[in-house]
Amino acid sequence: MNVLVCVKHVPDTETRVKVAADGLHLDLGEANWVVNPYDEYAVEQGLQLKEKLGGEVTVITVGGDDATKSLRQALAMGADKAVLCSDPAFEDADPWSTARILAAAAAKLPCDLILSGKHGVGGDNQQVGSLLGQLMGIPVVTVVTGMDLEGTSLMLKREIEGGTEVVKASLPCVISCQKGLNEPRYPSLKGIMAAKKKEITAWKAADLGLDPATLAPSFQLKKMELPPPRPAGKILSGEIPDQVKELVKLLHDEAKAI
Amino acid sequence: MKYLDDARDVKFNLFEWLDLDTLLKAERYKEFDRETLNSVLDEALKVARGSVAACNESGDRIGATFDAGKVTLAPGFDKAYQDLAAGGWIAPTANPDFGGMGLPESVGTGISEFIMGANTSMSLTVLLSRGAAHLIESFATDELKAIYCEKMYTGQWGGSMCLTEPSAGSDLGDIKTKAVKQEDGSYLLVGEKIFITSGDQDLTPNIVHAVLARTPDAPTGAKGLSLFVVPKFRVNADGSLGAFNDVVCSNIEHKLGIHGSPTCSLVFGSNGACQGFLLGKERAGLLLMFQMMNAARYEVGVQGLGIASAAHQAALAYAKERLQGRSMTNREPQTGQVPIIEHPDVRRSLLMQSAYCQAMRALASYTGWCMDMAHITEGEEHDRWQGLVELFTPICKAWCSGWGFRVTEWALQTYGGYGYTCEYPAEQYLRDAQIACIYEGTNGIQALDLVGRKFRLQEGKPVKHLLGLAGKTAQDLAADPVLGPSAMQLGSAVKALGAVLTEIPAKDNAMLLTLLNAVPLLDMMGHTVSGYLLLQQAAVAKTKLAALLKDKGVDASDKAALRAALKDSAEAAFYNNKVQAAVLFAHRGLPLVGAQAVALRAGEVAPMETVF
Ligand SMILES: Cc1cc2nc3c(=O)[nH]c(=O)nc-3n(C[C@H](O)[C@H](O)[C@H](O)COP(=O)(O)OP(=O)(O)OC[C@H]3O[C@@H](n4cnc5c(N)ncnc54)[C@H](O)[C@@H]3O)c2cc1C
Ligand SMILES: Cc1cc2nc3c(=O)[nH]c(=O)nc-3n(C[C@H](O)[C@H](O)[C@H](O)COP(=O)(O)OP(=O)(O)OC[C@H]3O[C@@H](n4cnc5c(N)ncnc54)[C@H](O)[C@@H]3O)c2cc1C
Repeated sequence: MNVLVCVKHVPDTETRVKVAADGLHLDLGEANWVVNPYDEYAVEQGLQLKEKLGGEVTVITVGGDDATKSLRQALAMGADKAVLCSDPAFEDADPWSTARILAAAAAKLPCDLILSGKHGVGGDNQQVGSLLGQLMGIPVVTVVTGMDLEGTSLMLKREIEGGTEVVKASLPCVISCQKGLNEPRYPSLKGIMAAKKKEITAWKAADLGLDPATLAPSFQLKKMELPPPRPAGKILSGEIPDQVKELVKLLHDEAKAI
Repeated sequence: MKYLDDARDVKFNLFEWLDLDTLLKAERYKEFDRETLNSVLDEALKVARGSVAACNESGDRIGATFDAGKVTLAPGFDKAYQDLAAGGWIAPTANPDFGGMGLPESVGTGISEFIMGANTSMSLTVLLSRGAAHLIESFATDELKAIYCEKMYTGQWGGSMCLTEPSAGSDLGDIKTKAVKQEDGSYLLVGEKIFITSGDQDLTPNIVHAVLARTPDAPTGAKGLSLFVVPKFRVNADGSLGAFNDVVCSNIEHKLGIHGSPTCSLVFGSNGACQGFLLGKERAGLLLMFQMMNAARYEVGVQGLGIASAAHQAALAYAKERLQGRSMTNREPQTGQVPIIEHPDVRRSLLMQSAYCQAMRALASYTGWCMDMAHITEGEEHDRWQGLVELFTPICKAWCSGWGFRVTEWALQTYGGYGYTCEYPAEQYLRDAQIACIYEGTNGIQALDLVGRKFRLQEGKPVKHLLGLAGKTAQDLAADPVLGPSAMQLGSAVKALGAVLTEIPAKDNAMLLTLLNAVPLLDMMGHTVSGYLLLQQAAVAKTKLAALLKDKGVDASDKAALRAALKDSAEAAFYNNKVQAAVLFAHRGLPLVGAQAVALRAGEVAPMETVF
């Protein structure tokens, strides 16, 4: 089975986030960039399928040249090939454009299954996987925590509010992966050295037959701001019954929690 | 237990300070480039922070246990070990022909720091396995190498180093374990070893012991020792495991720290069926063992560094959270409590911790780099680098373990009463750090090695060369507006040490003075060398900081603007802090060199005049 895995190069969640001077971007100059954690489940799942059924795992990303770092990590985990979709026209790609780029690339690659993370940390749009399936006209199953192959179909477990849902989907399809699906392997030293030698294919808009003019964001970003700093905590004093009364009052009037 | 690393400084050492490019141009390391090495460190850190750190606490609380002849490691050790083995982290610098990855030692130092810091007990198994395998690789017949090396370097089989016996600790000349040659060329061993780290464990199906023993007609003392490979299970011709080889673990020690590491008493040949194979020649055992001990001693220094850095990072995080006391500038009771990191005394302690960690890291990574340089050079140049490695080995071991332990003590103090409780990691770090001062030759024995052997090595060239370099750095930086005063302290330290080294040998009781002051002498060397290396680093950091500020359009002479820039940029803060750490070390660490010179120069011998 040939699996295509979508990975995103994202700032580490431990990064101290700052809003840039223009108020529209984040200043990520000093951020540590990593593979989107949910995409690691997708890569691992692809590798497990390959180990069981043969075929190849190709990882793909839409991003700048620095995103090769994340592709290399996936290659070091054991993926066979990597594709970097990079073009000045992709720079401000919104989820819709990203999905269009990925769909155009997927059409050029042999793939029986497309895996992605359930969402990309940072942007938190949770859209790319679903849009990609829609554009390709194939089934989409999101937030998957379990996967079994049955003939030419997949039996999938989905996380839903308060329980699990079991879904059957025919191949090819798009699956977005959630924590719990598997435990991603660490890249090995051998894998890191081997990854260096694996080729990364680079595709621009023209290679994908995309007209840059159609890739402009479909919405306009107006403003970015950080949440207000957490106010200092309050420690109540006095007799316990009085403290309880005071606490209830504060929760009601100030915190508006009750 | 969460492992908090200092990967930023590890990467500074490797990528911004050491001359990495010379290494990467060499045939031996041509497969590596900066980007790959960066990923290597990132991935090693992931494993360290992951399953390896995850069992550090269970290792301490549950520990290794011994029951009915069986050693069981704490929960989680199995998973961590499998991850280390699968990733190739057991022997990242070892020979690729035997399953190693051939990485430079200067990179291996960083990897070791992460794994040691995340879980010392776990890392000891790894360290001893690769140590024993290295002995086999260096001195065994091709047949033995083919059987053992790859399996050990890749972690399929474990290893141990069996030197110590009840009456032979610091002085191995008193080893009693016997080895008798058999007709087939193998030997039968009989004897008892104690304190053997990972002498038994339940991680691997076989354990391969490197054992020092005495052949029947050998002379007494160290010159009569031979070195043997002794597997727990014999190995069939096809590499599969055969009969039990009569090596029994009779107990494990209960001890202050590293509870996760089984410290075993081993009985060899109680049924007359313990087969061993000679490494090298008979009676050359200790000599061979010493070659391997250099690597292990160096790594024990890295252990001191790894634990100290982890302890410091944890204390630093705590100090930012803990509210206690009022601000120095506003002591009114009605104003809120401040995080203790605002108190000058706490800041002093935290920067002391950081500066000593940076000093140890500079010393260790420079030593690793010298090893690499020795690997890629020949003739006189090789001898020069190798001379420095030999000189630095006992200093790395003893100075980093000794001061590493002290850093864990300072880190515990940062927590106040909470540090003393088991709710926080500080007390475990302190207990786990102490052992590094003892095994692989006590720090006292390291000091004797330094003053007895290493100072005299190559007619004293390495020491002179080094003091020359340090003196030159002191001069070069003398006029620097920021680092000048620190350079002056370095100059004084070099002078004090130089004076002692010339004056003592000329005295009538030179021998006694040297033995009496071996430990202070090692400490003086450690401070001088690392103070020198830290000032070099500070000069690099200072230049980088200036460039960064210029980039951001910040006028460094405007204090408020500078403060804001440092607050805003973690990179700028990092470089600034490196400069400050070097300044602190120069003013609070380096003067200890002159202070310790006092007793030496005065010829004080009170310990010998005392009636105990
Ligand atoms: C947890 C742990 C793990 C260990 N792991 C191993 C292992 O894997 N393999 C192994 O073979 N051993 C191991 N050891 C043993 C360790 O190497 C010895 O404990 C160490 O070398 C000191 O020997 P000793 O304990 O007999 O102390 P002693 O030799 O009795 O020393 C006691 C004190 O006297 C000093 N001293 C002794 N002789 C001299 C001298 N000539 N001049 C000046 N001072 C001297 C020492 O510095 C020390 O302070 C381990 C020990 C421990 C505690
Ligand atoms: C085993 C044990 C037994 C104890 N027994 C008793 C007992 O019988 N009775 C009792 O009342 N208490 C007892 N204590 C509590 C003990 O006295 C406190 O732990 C101690 O005073 C430190 O307070 P703390 O732990 O809150 O640390 P903190 O006050 O939080 O101090 C943390 C760190 O910040 C530093 N620091 C704090 N404030 C300042 C400041 N203004 N300026 C500079 N540095 C500062 C401290 O020096 C320390 O390094 C005990 C504690 C332990 C661990």
